[in-house]
Amino acid sequence: MTDVSRRQLFIGAAGLAAAGGLAAACGSSSSTPSTGSATGAAGAPKRGGNFRLGVTGGGSKDIMDGQNIITKPDQARLMTAFETLLLFNENYQLTNNGLAETVTQDNPKQYTIRLRQGIEFQNGKTLTADDVIYSFQRIGTKKFGLTGYAATATMDIAGMKKLDQYTVQLPLKSADSTIPQTLGSYTFNMVPTGYQGYPHPQVGTGAYKLKSFTPGQQSVHERNPNYWRSGQPYFDTVTITDFSDSTAQANALLGGQIDAMTDVLPSQVKVLQAQNVGVLVSKTGGWLPICMAIDMPPFDDVRVRQAMRLIVDRKGLLEQVFSGYGFVGNDLYAPFDPGYDKSLPQREQDIAQAKSLLKAAGQANLAVDLHTTNGASGMVETATVFANQAQAAGVKINVINDPNFYGNQYLKLAFSVDFWGTRAYLNQVQQGSLPNAPYNETHWPPKSGTGSNFGSLYNQALAETDAAKRIQIEHEMQQIEYNNGGYIIPAFAGLIDGYATKVKGLVPSKGTLNLDSFGHGFRTIWFA
Amino acid sequence: MNRFRPRGLWGFILRRLLLGIIVLILVSILVFLATQALPEDPARAILGRSATPASLAALRRQLHLDQPVIEQYWTWVTGLLHGNLGTSLAAQEPVSTLLAPKLVNSAVLVALAAVLSIPLSIAIGAYAALKREKAFDQASSNLLLLLAALPEFVVALALVILLATTVSHVLPAVSTVPPGSRPWNNWLALILPTLALVIAVAPYVARIMRASMIEVLESDYVEMARLKGLPERTVLLRHALPNALGPVFQVIALNLAYLAGGIIFIEVVFNYTGVGGAIAEAVVNHDLPVIQALAMLIAAVYVILNLLADVATILVTPKLRTRL
Repeated sequence: MTDVSRRQLFIGAAGLAAAGGLAAACGSSSSTPSTGSATGAAGAPKRGGNFRLGVTGGGSKDIMDGQNIITKPDQARLMTAFETLLLFNENYQLTNNGLAETVTQDNPKQYTIRLRQGIEFQNGKTLTADDVIYSFQRIGTKKFGLTGYAATATMDIAGMKKLDQYTVQLPLKSADSTIPQTLGSYTFNMVPTGYQGYPHPQVGTGAYKLKSFTPGQQSVHERNPNYWRSGQPYFDTVTITDFSDSTAQANALLGGQIDAMTDVLPSQVKVLQAQNVGVLVSKTGGWLPICMAIDMPPFDDVRVRQAMRLIVDRKGLLEQVFSGYGFVGNDLYAPFDPGYDKSLPQREQDIAQAKSLLKAAGQANLAVDLHTTNGASGMVETATVFANQAQAAGVKINVINDPNFYGNQYLKLAFSVDFWGTRAYLNQVQQGSLPNAPYNETHWPPKSGTGSNFGSLYNQALAETDAAKRIQIEHEMQQIEYNNGGYIIPAFAGLIDGYATKVKGLVPSKGTLNLDSFGHGFRTIWFA
Repeated sequence: MNRFRPRGLWGFILRRLLLGIIVLILVSILVFLATQALPEDPARAILGRSATPASLAALRRQLHLDQPVIEQYWTWVTGLLHGNLGTSLAAQEPVSTLLAPKLVNSAVLVALAAVLSIPLSIAIGAYAALKREKAFDQASSNLLLLLAALPEFVVALALVILLATTVSHVLPAVSTVPPGSRPWNNWLALILPTLALVIAVAPYVARIMRASMIEVLESDYVEMARLKGLPERTVLLRHALPNALGPVFQVIALNLAYLAGGIIFIEVVFNYTGVGGAIAEAVVNHDLPVIQALAMLIAAVYVILNLLADVATILVTPKLRTRL
């Protein structure tokens, strides 16, 4: 039995479970109706309790490091104890509600960071300019291999200067207007000087202190009584437990052994709701692209790429793969960026046009392998649904579900389905669409011809301090990608998480992380 | 050389143990070759999507993946002989530290399932044979066939629905064993996984017991015993049962060995912290030391259980006992 069919059986069995559940009236009904809305409707926050979170995707390779993640439970753990200088709010807009009072751009090649005063680390040490400089140095050290390293390429970290106890000057090697977004990304956390990852002591500015941690199993976090935001956090403890299977996770939530879970399967949403469990649907900018390497046959012919993009029935795919939770994509990423080009026409399925493009390219009977894996949920389903849709255009797609997809062949494949989280446009370009980007699946941009100026446009955009002009350049870049790029972006999937109805304060968020950025670091949620 | 051949039951056990050791050595080589044949880099597998050239290089250095294959194998074998199972590539801690608590957890589950399922299934099988073609036999046979046909995880999920989530909330739906605690600290959580395992194993043993018992009851010596006027109780307990148990021991051993390797599904459904999850994860991560240790362990369990079954069979079968 293959992995897919086993998973489908699991889902099927859980579905049966749920069908039976509709009849049995739920014994543990909560007195307060679940409005699903924010603080106002839920009443005043209350102190106390042990918040138990179940997360899939972890294992014995779990880590705890204020500036690094490997697995999804690592993301949750990171959010308990560590904080960034700037903060994305639930609409994915950058705010200065983080550790920095202000971050100002002095000129295209220099920023000044001014810290909020009086913030203490969990060990009582005050957060100062020295800690900020150490934090940047640590992320910028290549051999540590930390998540944020690629984003430090433009920073002149060695040239950082402490202006006073709470002020730091950050010079740049080359102009970079995305610095504020980088300072708000969830792994770009501030740690005290001398900090090292677990098993060294985990000391951050966040709402909970690490009490115990066993990779692959569980971590327990205690309330930080000294937390700088007065009144927060509300729970006494947070317990994060690894689950290997989402059916077990859903059962634990239904049975009351956990209070919240990540990544409810779209097919299980109605099932859980019927049994009085809250479901948080967040329309994020997360996406599962079908990636065509623009320098590998048959996708080195732009007509083939455009044909593939015309084959997709985007609404149908959104419905089939994500049960309609999410929104249709237009082969462009970063939909919440102010620079997202909404003027480009929505691409629709056009089989006739696709067929004629393929014929013109000499690929009328195209047969091609599409590689993917059970990575982020929906990847294999996206590949399968797309393969079915392609039959209408006479294209034969053979889906290969490879457990070692992220092995040596990753990023060297002509045709694959991958996943990405929410990002601002230029940050995403830096991560996936430049010659030196760490995850460039499509081998973008072209070395010559149309689009070969993409890299220089990117540099212009980084250097441009005038927002309107920058957006103009970004539109130009997106037009090139829209007409020549290697991504098919059928839909933005969103995140679906589950929670016990006694958990209050959760709001749908457009950010990358589950459960409203894990309840903004487990501090904006509480038990009713 | 026959003069030096150890004789008797102990000699038999000694010979089988030596054979077992040879089997284990072969297993270690086979597993090692199989894992080496996969064209995959453990560093890549561990970091997965979050791999960057920088973090990959950092991890490879840390894991000493630059050593030649033979050297890696030799280091492991010599370590094993000194009781050192090596260091997990993914978890970066000794394999023994990583697996010991999980082994205890899984062993508790298997032992509980065995202690409950063996007497239960033998009793059901024997009673069904006595009441052949009667109501009990028909009802139990049909039910056991039905249960045997259901995959373990369907049984497990049905139990969860009935007792933990939808129908009633009598028992916990998941049986996670938190680090630092033992399964018996929360014995309520042990009930569902144990029950699921008992249902997975009992039908086979009961069916074989029934068939074996029927065969024995129809044999000449049982008829002779009855003709000699022995009480029915003595006929059954002294003459029929021991002879019927022989083949059943083999099936029990096979089923227990299956449990030792095959509790993966049950552990996953109940998020039970055991070796099942460790196996699956180690394979995905190409965590060679952990795969090696677990493969050796499961092979050892097979060897020992088969030996025990053979010894038990010999002890209840006079014909075999005297031939040694």
